[in-house]
Amino acid sequence: MLAPAVALVLGAPSLAAQAAPPDKVSKSIDRVYGAGARADTVVVDSQTVYRVSRGGALLGFAEVRNVKGKEQPITYLVAVDSAGATRDVDILVYRESQGGEVAYDSWRKQFRGKTSGDPIEIGKDIRNISGATISSNAVTRSVRLALRQLADWRAAGKLK
Amino acid sequence: MRFSSPVLAVLALCALPVIPCRTVRLVAQQEPEEEHTSIGGYGEVHYQNPSGPDSPGIVNVARFVMFLAHQFNAKIALRSELEVEDAKVEAGDTRAGEVSVEQVYLDYMLSPAATLRAGLLLAPIGLINETHEPTTFNGVERPALDNDVIPTTWRDIGLGVVGQIPGSSGLSYRVYLLNGLQASGFTADEGIRGGRQEGQLASFANPSFTGRLEYARPGLKVGGSFWYGGSANQDPALGTGTFDNAVALVSADARYETGPFSFRAEAVNIHVSNVEAINAAFGGQVGSRIAGGYLEGAYNVLTLVAPASHQRLDAFVRHERYNTQAGVPAGVVRDDALARRITTLGLTYKPVYNVAFKGDYQLRRNQAGVGEGELLNLGIGYQF
Repeated sequence: MLAPAVALVLGAPSLAAQAAPPDKVSKSIDRVYGAGARADTVVVDSQTVYRVSRGGALLGFAEVRNVKGKEQPITYLVAVDSAGATRDVDILVYRESQGGEVAYDSWRKQFRGKTSGDPIEIGKDIRNISGATISSNAVTRSVRLALRQLADWRAAGKLK
Repeated sequence: MRFSSPVLAVLALCALPVIPCRTVRLVAQQEPEEEHTSIGGYGEVHYQNPSGPDSPGIVNVARFVMFLAHQFNAKIALRSELEVEDAKVEAGDTRAGEVSVEQVYLDYMLSPAATLRAGLLLAPIGLINETHEPTTFNGVERPALDNDVIPTTWRDIGLGVVGQIPGSSGLSYRVYLLNGLQASGFTADEGIRGGRQEGQLASFANPSFTGRLEYARPGLKVGGSFWYGGSANQDPALGTGTFDNAVALVSADARYETGPFSFRAEAVNIHVSNVEAINAAFGGQVGSRIAGGYLEGAYNVLTLVAPASHQRLDAFVRHERYNTQAGVPAGVVRDDALARRITTLGLTYKPVYNVAFKGDYQLRRNQAGVGEGELLNLGIGYQF
């Protein structure tokens, strides 16, 4: 019964202001790693990474990132397994008027299994979606950078 | 929003402990500000040289366009496109440039399945009308079909809904009610093009329905569009009903990319009803049916000579066939010069995907063999 009051008083100015509503992030992590996965916040080089585990066993790491599309930021989650291979890329908030096809599973599933050593480039190992060229390129490039950064952090011992 | 009610404040305080800690902790980094203004744009500069000894080339800033968008909150956004065509507009200058607002609308995002949209909108028809930035198509000029048959850039005032069809994985739609066409502007050689009102103190006599369904998967997109609406503008000579002198358009298009190859195709058919009355009222030779299509294939040459390159050099060929008098009413003698066949061969070089250097050669033919010509085009284009 109290939840609506929270939404009204706290929700309007604070929670709604966030790029990715927390419930979307936690739902996304549950979907990618399975229900009951525990997500702990780790701050690395002043960036927030979610360390995902279940029963003490490391499942992987996830990060929420924003990348500029044509006009607006695209907010997405990139999730890797404990070996650094991509489990999924999930579009959390899409704000552009055109190019929303990047949220389709048929497009996102191209990233699954990719590691920081793969090209991850439109026209090479990732296919474009016509009419969503800017969004496809932006998300692809951002995922490439995210995977390399996560791999670097792990190699440097900053993520365990 | 402000809530000063003490009751609400008390409720909020009571509720605080029930917020799960995990939820509060899961906050995205690098959050964009809730309210956000962005600018963008595109432009194209052309050089055009018709064949023949006495025809100098022409250079032109064909388009300089600015996008201005504003996100008011997570759900409401404004988008706009302001365009200068042909470099400038000056009183008394016979080279008519154009300044126009091509789009200005508000989006209210309810869910991925439904965004409400209202304002000056682009008709969701074919490949080029909605996506007309120079980096998105081959050739310096837009395909001629997307000028003479689908009157690009076709826009008018109205409202509608756009979204992805839930559970379909790949299907999206747009449905609009837009202000309609005026038959007084229809012509034999450019069909319905002159009938657009483009949101300028426009008569709202003939609201029209238009829409599009698209299926997309990586590498492939197919779409179908329609327009249905009257054009009589309550002219007693034509009819006073909303759907009198109806224009009925259907179109289909496809884009496919695989490795270095890319293909696109578009076909459109327009039927103009009661066209005898239109021709009688305005003295034109407007066709009752306007139809055509094109096929285009391209190959990224750099995959052969520099496979590691991030750049593109597409060699393409496009063949268009269309006739703005595919059907004529009794009393109109068909002009075979309007049955056009245009072949364009060219190159598009993209050092990055948002910048294009283009060159092409066009063979412009028609069934009558009258007024045929060839055209060399060079151009630059960008968008961001």
